[in-house]
Amino acid sequence: MINENIAEIRLGTASCGIASGAGAVLEKMQAMAGDFAITEVGCVGCCYAEPLAEVITKDGQSIFYGNLTADEKCLANIFALSEEGRFVEPEARKQKTLPKVLKLAGRINPVSIEAYKAVGGYEALAKAQAMSPEAIVNAIKASGLRGRGGGGFPTGMKWGFLAAKDSAEKIIICNADEGDPGAFMDRSLMESVPHQVLEGMLIAAAATGATKLFIYCRAEYPMAIKNLKIAIEQIKANQLNIVHGRELEIIIKEGAGAFVCGEETALIASLEGKRGTPRFRPPFPTDSGYHELPTMINNVETFGNVPCIIAEGAEAYASIGTANSKGTKIFALAGDLKYPGLVEVPMGITLREIVFEIGGADPEHVKAVQTGGPSGGCIPVELFDTPVDYDSLRSLGAIMGSGGMIVIGKNRCMVETARYFLDFTRRESCGKCTFCRVGTARMFETLERITQGEGTLEDIDFLETLGNQVRKGSLCGLGQTAPNPVLATLRYFKNEYLDHVEKHTCTALECNALVKVKLDQSKCVKCKLCIKTCPTGAIGEDFVIDPAKCTRCNSCIEICPKKAISRHPND
Amino acid sequence: MEKIKACLDKIAPEPGNLIRGLQAIQTSAGYVSDEAIKVAADYFKVAPVEIEGVLSFYAQFKRVKPGKYTVAVCDGTACHIKGSPLIMEWLSDALKIRPGETDAEGNFTIEKVSCLGCCSLAPVMAVNGTVYGKLDRKKVIRILKEYQNK
Amino acid sequence: MSNSAENTFEFILDGKTVQAKVGETVLEVARREGITIPSLCFNGKVSHTTSCFVCVVKDCKTGKFLPSCAARPAPGQEIDASGEEVKSMRKTALELLLSEHSGDCEAPCTMACPAHAAVEEYVRAGKEGNWLEALKIIKERIPLPMSIGRVCPRFCEKECRKNLYGKAVSINDFKRYAADLYYREYVETLPPETGKKVAIVGAGPAGLSAAYFLRRMGVAVKVFDQMPEAGGMIRYGIPEYRLPKRDVLDVELAHFKKLGVEFEFNAKLGENLDIETLKKEFDAVGIAVGCWKSSGIRCEGEELATAGIDFLRDNILKDCKAANPGKTIVIGGGNTAMDCVRTAVRLGAEEVSCFYRRTENEMPAEKIEIHEAKEEGVNFEFLVAPVKLRKENGKLVLTCQRMVLGEPDASGRRRPVPQAGSEFDTVADTVIAAVGQSTIMPAGVKVNKYGYAEVSAGNLVEDNVFSAGDCVSGAATVVEAVAGGRIMALGMQALFEGKPYAEEYKINVSRGAWRSMSTDDVVKISDSVSDSERAQLPLISLEERKTTFKEVAGTMSAETLQAEGKRCIECSCTDKHDCRLKKSAELCGACPTAICGAKNAKRIDTRHPEILQDTGKCIKCGICVKTCKEIIGKTLLSAQNRGFLTTIGTAFNAGLPTSCAECGACINACPTGALDWKDKSRRKI
Repeated sequence: MINENIAEIRLGTASCGIASGAGAVLEKMQAMAGDFAITEVGCVGCCYAEPLAEVITKDGQSIFYGNLTADEKCLANIFALSEEGRFVEPEARKQKTLPKVLKLAGRINPVSIEAYKAVGGYEALAKAQAMSPEAIVNAIKASGLRGRGGGGFPTGMKWGFLAAKDSAEKIIICNADEGDPGAFMDRSLMESVPHQVLEGMLIAAAATGATKLFIYCRAEYPMAIKNLKIAIEQIKANQLNIVHGRELEIIIKEGAGAFVCGEETALIASLEGKRGTPRFRPPFPTDSGYHELPTMINNVETFGNVPCIIAEGAEAYASIGTANSKGTKIFALAGDLKYPGLVEVPMGITLREIVFEIGGADPEHVKAVQTGGPSGGCIPVELFDTPVDYDSLRSLGAIMGSGGMIVIGKNRCMVETARYFLDFTRRESCGKCTFCRVGTARMFETLERITQGEGTLEDIDFLETLGNQVRKGSLCGLGQTAPNPVLATLRYFKNEYLDHVEKHTCTALECNALVKVKLDQSKCVKCKLCIKTCPTGAIGEDFVIDPAKCTRCNSCIEICPKKAISRHPND
Repeated sequence: MEKIKACLDKIAPEPGNLIRGLQAIQTSAGYVSDEAIKVAADYFKVAPVEIEGVLSFYAQFKRVKPGKYTVAVCDGTACHIKGSPLIMEWLSDALKIRPGETDAEGNFTIEKVSCLGCCSLAPVMAVNGTVYGKLDRKKVIRILKEYQNK
Repeated sequence: MSNSAENTFEFILDGKTVQAKVGETVLEVARREGITIPSLCFNGKVSHTTSCFVCVVKDCKTGKFLPSCAARPAPGQEIDASGEEVKSMRKTALELLLSEHSGDCEAPCTMACPAHAAVEEYVRAGKEGNWLEALKIIKERIPLPMSIGRVCPRFCEKECRKNLYGKAVSINDFKRYAADLYYREYVETLPPETGKKVAIVGAGPAGLSAAYFLRRMGVAVKVFDQMPEAGGMIRYGIPEYRLPKRDVLDVELAHFKKLGVEFEFNAKLGENLDIETLKKEFDAVGIAVGCWKSSGIRCEGEELATAGIDFLRDNILKDCKAANPGKTIVIGGGNTAMDCVRTAVRLGAEEVSCFYRRTENEMPAEKIEIHEAKEEGVNFEFLVAPVKLRKENGKLVLTCQRMVLGEPDASGRRRPVPQAGSEFDTVADTVIAAVGQSTIMPAGVKVNKYGYAEVSAGNLVEDNVFSAGDCVSGAATVVEAVAGGRIMALGMQALFEGKPYAEEYKINVSRGAWRSMSTDDVVKISDSVSDSERAQLPLISLEERKTTFKEVAGTMSAETLQAEGKRCIECSCTDKHDCRLKKSAELCGACPTAICGAKNAKRIDTRHPEILQDTGKCIKCGICVKTCKEIIGKTLLSAQNRGFLTTIGTAFNAGLPTSCAECGACINACPTGALDWKDKSRRKI
């Protein structure tokens, strides 16, 4: 029943796969496969094709089957190595991406240390064990690796600070509180290759003399936590947690839902069991961090890079990328595009290549891309030839951020987009400093007014002035970057603001207060589905929509079989 | 009381473990009651008012008993631009409650969450942790019906 | 030198090289260098919070803004602590804090008083029976309390929040009682003479007020007046039945002589007085000549009408024994018109009417005046306007036209529009025009296009000439004249000190006017605010009112007023004298209404017998939390929620324990009135 040429069948059961129904698929597949064990693997990044299975043939070929359902006929294709149902990764995606950190993601069983070791895992750690701490720090410095959490601080320098501390106890924290809505590369790494992240942390401990390792992970990532926990047990069992003769404690702490805890000092406060409010730096955590001990914090992806650097050498790593941004970067592509998912690309690639070639977005339809999530900014399609590196993005008013990349289509209102991000940051503000606590609230209120069609030209000036001051006067990164989405949209899409204020129109037809839902009688077949669906009874027996009752919920638009109902500007 | 204490059994009684302890309590009871705060205060040697401060700081914690099913609508960026506000509106209409509220029967609580990390399946929601992606109105109502009939 | 070189280093602060010790903050060095940096969230006693960001300074090299309370300078670092950008950041920080702040710095009554008298305070002093103290508070702003205590239209009472519950506190009567009780014996202690001398032209309320405040600054004052006695309009305009001249006004004015004010009467500028001479002989000259010119009724035969103020003055000069005016029509709807009709009644006129071109609702006269005039039998004709006045057979015939109300005009009142063909005639013995007054400005004083004195800040006209009162503002009230006189005195003082006059910048946060509030919005700190009805003014009998010029309203008794005082809600902030948010905002020129938006969640906790917790005033600096924990060693407070909803709370929202009354450390540390003693006399330490 199973094609004899099949050596291994892998099924992606990371969060996105499960959410697409991989659980039921796995159950069915295993039932069909009998004794033949299906390997559960992480995520290969092609989220749009989940659930996704990969068949490895005895001659080493890899064949994908995508968009699986728990249906015998569909799954039989896999076992038969049928031509039908195969998934072929788009050519551009294959060519433009450069999987380094993600090389093993989705290829191995995440919770098998043997599987990881079988593909060279922990060889970098062994190499590091043989190196002096200075040599490791120097290698990281030479690689040019910069923090992947968003700040872009040179990682080697940070390691050097901690290494230089004379303290019996030193702390390393892996920041896995991926709170940027729209980014999921850290989750994917932890779910798919937890050992790689942990290996990076162990190498960091070897370089810096750290004695205790923490992973501060979002509670919303239960699978990541589960896989890490298993991996830690395996490390202990294999005594890999003994580094340069020191036995290290590795502890997972779950965050409890606060975006601000991505900020170093807030994260430390949270780790200490307190409210996650940041504090003024200096002192920097490497001088006084967790319980006043020297503490160094790196992001998941940063640690994920470390084994590659040590294994392949700093020079090889530094040969990728641009002058000031080395190596690769993982982006979480989402929004209005064809192939959402995770992509790892060399630094210096252009936005155009990522969005159109890799992401398959429709050039006619794309307006902008938002990088860096709520802390970043939008970049209009005209500037898509910009190379993706820390400095170029910053110069455009956006940031690299942790790697969220949201493609914004022409049917999206930029004022609404800015309002959305401000709504996020004002709710996530810890409430400590004035500019962030009150400033973001006032900016949000102003944006609400504008999207409601009640804004004024003064409101636009106010946003600009206050936005710049909030940026300068906030205590931590959250407040300092919170105005970015507003300032960037004001920079590139001021006309949309002016339309809302002066003409009381939302060109993208997204702002409900400025939109009317109308039914085209000539297309209507009087099926009454819309009348039944409407939650507020706004559609009369004469198929005329009462704008006073209509909440612009789109229910009727979605249900109409003839596409007779659509959104229009207010009269 | 004993049940609350039992949740804290495996956690060392140091203030740094407070959040872990509260998470354990919430996992078991679904929320953190006043009584639980008093137990935790005693156990971790942290003043109740500070525990309340911690609980009210983090979005994860609930101070009132949630419904049997918690429907978490992701409002991450990808989901938002794929129409998550509409999903919330449909749910609100169907259940006659607003985000953060629990229906009168104590069956459903709906809440907005910041990102479930399944952006490529946007828009998504999770019912008691089970994630549903690529939602439209039909699908939302169907999923809701499934739970209502359970 | 104990400070060895390695413990100190140099950096640049505001362009100047300064020394800093290792470990010092920028704020500490700046304060030592005499540079003022406001700060709210740092008090030096508890660990840093760096929350308010009011103390920001700029690192010139990086362009970053740093909280100076926590930032330590580095050798050679260049810090800007006073530049425009820094000032703008501080101002915005404060305006953001003010935008979420709710409360009332000052009580609405105090804000409404044109003279800005500390109303809540003098009412409280009266309530407690401290009448001399009450008088002293009143006289800080109101030098004519006996008169104003009788004739003031009570701006304060119109804004009194007690109106939400019925009627305002009877505030003005506190002035009257305090002054009546102490005026004969109490005299202010004056400072030594400065050697400066001032001439004031006009012994009306504005001139007298200026004289009073100048004397209290040690300036010699000589007041000139065209009339034979002092008082101006309060003597010659306000009728005897409202303000008795011998028993009240003379007592009040005698006080000015006690303070050393010199008077010269029957002296008129342009006749026997020359402004140039005054300018030379005195260090400053104050023009306060009032509004003595009556406006005409602007119709044919208007010269046949008697001017209202002339009518009133004539009666005063005749000791209230002027001739019976016969059948009288008074044209106009203001207070002067009411004074005229009621004077005519008392002079024995058998029929007195008031003709007004709008309706009663639009009448500018005080409601109480209209009411009392009606009681005294005055007839009111509304929506009529004169078109012609003529004499026929020794009688006056007034032709009027009926009006209807049209669209609102610039004043917001609906404009009267004539109804065609509605003319009618009325016969009268006397027609009085009381439709407005204007000033007759003596030559040599710069005037604006309306003929009033043109003044700049500090009521300065030009050179050493100042002006105040009705001749600046147009006909207004006594209390407004008194307020203007005080500003003129301050303007003169600035001139003597060689500085430009600058009004002290004061902010006021307000919960709003009672008209837009509900009783739920009102904050009562004390549980003992009385719900009783407003005290009634004792009035003489109606018969006496109609036939004599006896004072209509009497002075309330001490018992009545002390009970009335208990009705006061005491709206102002407990912390208005110490509030660091207010002081910093005033220092930085921040405006409470510059940025608008949702306010802090209002939760006023008055459960503790002595302590008030008002989250609406909290700036979330956390000093109280830290003071309790770090200094007192307790944990009774903690921040709750996050973001804009952050508040400081107590365990299970049960409030502070009563034992806290002995400590009060958090109260003393609170930069605003968010935590305070309920007892307003108890100041923070």
